[in-house]
Amino acid sequence: MKTFTKGVHPAGCKDLSEREKIGAGPEPAHVWLALSQHIGAPAVPVVEPGQRVLRGQLVAKKAEGLSANIYSPIAGVVKEVAGHITISGKKKDHIRIENDFTDEEMLLPRLAEPDGAAVLARIEEAGIVGMGGAGFPTAAKLAVGGRADVLVVNGAECEPYITCDHRIMLEYADDLLRGIRFAMLACGAKRAVIGIEKNKRDAIELLSAKCGGDISVRPLRTRYPQGAEKQLVYGCTGRTIPEGKLPVDAGAVVVNVHTALSIFRAVELGEPCYRRVMTVSGKAAKKCGNFWVKNGTPLRDLAGFCGGDENCARIVCGGPMMGDAVFSLKICTAKTSSSLLFLDESECESKVASVCIGCGRCVQACPMGLSPTFIEEALFKKDYAEAKRYGALACIGCGCCSYVCPAKRFLAQSVKLAKKIIGERKI
Amino acid sequence: MAEITNYKVAASPHKLDRSNTRRIMLDVLIALAPCLVCGVLFYGLYALMLVAICVAACFASEQVYNLIRKKPFTFDLSAVVTGVILGLNLPPRAPWYIPIVGGVFAIVVVKMIFGGLGKNFANPAATARVFLLLAYSSVMTQYIGADLSNVLAGDVTTGATYLGGGIAALQDSFLNIGGYWGYVLQLLFGYVGGSIGETCKLAVLAGGVYLTARRVIDWRIPVVYLLTAAAMVLVCYGSASEILLQLFSGGLMFGAVFMATDYATSPKWRYNRVLYAIGLGVITVLIRRYGSYPEGTSLAILIMNLFVPIMDKYLLPVRFGQTSKSGKPKPQVMKWAMRCVCIALAAAIAVAVPLVNYTEVQLYTGRFSYVTDAKREFGGGYVFSVEGEAYLDQYDYTQPLAYEIKLNAEGDKVLSVRPITQSTMGYVANLAFFEGKTFDEIAALTDLSTDAETSATYTNTALRKMILECFTAYDANIADYSAISASGEHIVKAERCGDLYRFTLSGVADLAEYNYQQPLAYAITIDAAAGKVKYITTINESTYGYTVDREIFVGKTAEEIAAMTDETIASDITTGATITNAAVRDLIGECFAALEGAAKGGAE
Repeated sequence: MKTFTKGVHPAGCKDLSEREKIGAGPEPAHVWLALSQHIGAPAVPVVEPGQRVLRGQLVAKKAEGLSANIYSPIAGVVKEVAGHITISGKKKDHIRIENDFTDEEMLLPRLAEPDGAAVLARIEEAGIVGMGGAGFPTAAKLAVGGRADVLVVNGAECEPYITCDHRIMLEYADDLLRGIRFAMLACGAKRAVIGIEKNKRDAIELLSAKCGGDISVRPLRTRYPQGAEKQLVYGCTGRTIPEGKLPVDAGAVVVNVHTALSIFRAVELGEPCYRRVMTVSGKAAKKCGNFWVKNGTPLRDLAGFCGGDENCARIVCGGPMMGDAVFSLKICTAKTSSSLLFLDESECESKVASVCIGCGRCVQACPMGLSPTFIEEALFKKDYAEAKRYGALACIGCGCCSYVCPAKRFLAQSVKLAKKIIGERKI
Repeated sequence: MAEITNYKVAASPHKLDRSNTRRIMLDVLIALAPCLVCGVLFYGLYALMLVAICVAACFASEQVYNLIRKKPFTFDLSAVVTGVILGLNLPPRAPWYIPIVGGVFAIVVVKMIFGGLGKNFANPAATARVFLLLAYSSVMTQYIGADLSNVLAGDVTTGATYLGGGIAALQDSFLNIGGYWGYVLQLLFGYVGGSIGETCKLAVLAGGVYLTARRVIDWRIPVVYLLTAAAMVLVCYGSASEILLQLFSGGLMFGAVFMATDYATSPKWRYNRVLYAIGLGVITVLIRRYGSYPEGTSLAILIMNLFVPIMDKYLLPVRFGQTSKSGKPKPQVMKWAMRCVCIALAAAIAVAVPLVNYTEVQLYTGRFSYVTDAKREFGGGYVFSVEGEAYLDQYDYTQPLAYEIKLNAEGDKVLSVRPITQSTMGYVANLAFFEGKTFDEIAALTDLSTDAETSATYTNTALRKMILECFTAYDANIADYSAISASGEHIVKAERCGDLYRFTLSGVADLAEYNYQQPLAYAITIDAAAGKVKYITTINESTYGYTVDREIFVGKTAEEIAAMTDETIASDITTGATITNAAVRDLIGECFAALEGAAKGGAE
C-alpha cells in the first residue's frame, strides 16, 4: 500500500466519541454568523437588522470572486452586523440573529435528475465549503473543466479525537455515496476513491460493501497527517502533487466526506450549508459524541450542552494537532469547525521550550521533507532566503515537527512565520 | 452549570510526544549502565572511581561555566552523559587527574565555549579522548588485562590490546574454545585489555538495542558504520576473519553506538546519516590499518563531525512533490545513492567473505623447500601455498610450478589442490592422485605416471613432494602438541599429540674433508602406533644444498632405519648430503630410543 513517508502517530483517543450516534446539537438563543467562514472574500450581508429570517434563508451573499453564501441556521430576527471575536483573535464582522424558536424553514427547491452544471450551481448556491477544515469554496474546487479524472474523498480523519467523518460514513453511507456521485458529476471525474484510515475498520467494511463500480474504498495506513491533501492524493492514487500546484494538476479533486454529504443534502433535500456534524470530546467533556451543530453557535452554548468540567485545562477548536486553543467561549462555530475538545491536564501538557539538541526528529517527521530546525535557525538569523531553501514555503502546518520535538520547541509556529514572511516579502 | 474558567491557551499541536531532553539523556545513561557494570567487573572499583570523577568533573565544570557566564544552571543530564562516555573511554588504571583534565576539556572547551548543549560541532567525549591521547600518550595507552579478580585488587599486570598487540595480546582459549572463535568470543565478552567501558561488546550491543528500541538513536549510524568498517577491513586487511576481530576490538562498537550517534554532531537527515556513517567506517579502518595510532574511532568521529554542518546545509531531503527547474519531479538522488552503496557494501561482503575467509598462519618452525605461506580458512582447514619446479630432462626444460593445497583442519587429508602455475602445454598434474587422500596414501604412491608421452609424471612427482611437505609444515606449526619429558643426547624438546611423538633435535654433520661442522636441527615426528617415521621438518641444515633426503626415512621403521648403511643412504656423493643423511639416521635412532623410554615411563 502506498503511503507518504515520515509523519507521526499520536494516540488516537477516538474511542471517547466514535461509538456515539450523531445527536441533535444545542438550540442557541443567538447565533453569530461570521461573514468569512471560508477562504476568499467575506460574504456581503443581504439582510437588515430587525429583519426576520427563516432557517435556511440566505443572509449573506457571496462576494465577487472566491467566496460563499451564508444561510441562517435558525428562524429569528437579525439583530446586528457587527464585529465579533474569532478563534484567530481578530474581530471580524458577524451577523447576529436572535432565535425565536419557531424553527420555520425556507429551503431551496430539490433538484431532480440534475446534470453536472446544475449540481455545480447548487453547490455554489448552497454555500458549501470544504468542511474538513480548510473552507475552500467547493464550487470553485469542483469547477475544473474536466481536468480531473479522479475524485478523492477524504475519510482519513487522521487527527486524534475527531470522529465526525467516521460517524457520517457509518450513519449516512448511502447519502454520502450519492453525494460523491453528484460531486463526480460536477467535476467530471470518472472514478472516485474514498480514502479511509485503517483504524476505522467498520467504515471501510460498510462502504466497501455499498460502493462499487467507479467508486472504490482505499484503506490507508493510520498515520498523521494521512488526511492532508497531498498525502491523501498520494495514498489514494499514487500521484504526487507538484510543489505549489493544486491536486487538479495531478488530475485529482479532493473533497471531504462531510462536504460530499453536504452536497447530497443541498441537491436532494434542498438544505443549504448552515449546520454540520461536530465532535465534542476530551476527558474533561461531560458528554462526548457527535452532534449536528448550527453554524454560529457560541462555544458557550456548546459547552453548556456537552459539559466541560472544572478539570478542563484547555479547550481546542479543531483537532489537537492543528486546531486552535479557545481563549473565549464567546467565539462561535463556523462551517469548518469539526470539533470542540475539552482536554484535561493529562491530555495536553503545557510546554516550555528548551534549547535544540539537534536530534533531527523534526527532519525525520516532516511529511513534506522540510528541515524545520534549520528553518527556525534561519528565521532567528533573519536569513529568509536560507529558510526558503530549507523548504519553508512547502509547509502544510501539520505540526509533526512540534509534536516530536524533545526540546519542546515551537517549530511549527517558526516555520509558519518564516513562510508568512517569505510570502509577504516575496523572497 | 459551572462556567469553565481555568482553561489556558497554547500553541498547537496540543498533543506532544512524551520524550524530552532529560528523558533522552536518562535513556542514554540506562544504555551505558551495562558497559559500566562490565567495566567495573573486569577492571575493578578503581575504574568506577575514574568514571565517577569524570562525571563530577563534567557536571561541575558545566555549572561553574554557567556561573561565570551568568547563565542559568543546567540539569538536563547531558554533562553526566558526556562524563560517563568519556570515563568509559579511559584506560582502567589512568591516574586520577586524567578524568578531571578530560572532563573539563570536553565540557568547557568542546561544548560550552561553542554555546552549550546542541551547539558544539564536535563530540565532546571523542574530542577529549583524542586530546588526552595526544597530551598523555603513555598513560592513555597503558591497558591492563581483564580479570574478575580485579574488582578489589589494585595490583594488576599491564596488558596489550588486540589493536596494539595483535593475537598475542589475547588468551589462547576462552570458555574452553580455542583458536579463532576463542579470540572472537573473548573480544565479544570483553575479557581483554582495553578502555573501561568499550571492551564488552555484548554490553554495548545491549545498550544499542535499548537506544534503538527507545528510538533515541537512529539505527542507521551504528549499522552502516559497522557495515562499512567490515567492508573496509576486507579491503585493507584482505582477510575475512579479521572483520570480527576488528569490529569487536577497540572502541569501534562503543563509538558507533554511543559517540557517533551524538545528536548535535551527527546529521539530521537519515540519508546524510548513512553518508556520515560510511565516512566513519572508511576513516576508522584507514587509521587503524595505515595510521600510527592503533585505534581510529575517536579520530574518525572527530573528523566526520566536521563534515556534518556542510552535509546538513547542502544535502537536503527531497521535499514531497519537489520539482526541478524543468518541472519534472526531483529525483531522490541521495536516497537511492545511499541505498545502493549500502546494498553494494553488504553484497560485497557476502561475496568476498567466502573468497578471503582465512587467517594468516605464521610458519615459525621449519625451513621448507616448497611451502611459502599458510593460511587458516574461516571454517577450519588450512591452505598452503607451494612453489617448486619440475625438471624435464629430455627437453632440458624447467617448468615452474605453484599450487594452493588445502588440508583439512586436522591436517591429515588433502581436501583440494588448486593449480596456480603449471605447464600451459597440457602437462598438468593429475589432481585425482592427491585430492581426498591422506598422508599415508600419498606417501605410498609410487606410480605417478599419467601419460608417459606428456611427461606430466614429472609434474605429479613434484606435486607429491610439495604435498608431503605441506603435511610436514602442518605438523611442525599447526598440530596441537603438548610437551612430554624424554631424554637423549641431542633431544632439545619432546612433545606428543595422540600417537604422534615429535622430537626436536640438534646435532652436527661432521664434514671432516672440509674441516667443517655443519650444525643440524630437525623436528622428527614418529607415529608410535605404526612405529614409523612420519615427518621430518628441517630447522637448520646446510644452505648449500647438502640437505637431508626425507624420502629415505619417512615411512620407515626403527629397524629399517637402523639397518641402513652409509651406502643405502647416499643420495649424492658429490654433494656430501650423505653425511647429513647419516647424521639424521642417527638422530632418528635416538628418537626411537627416547620413544621407547617415554613409552616405558608412561607405562610405569
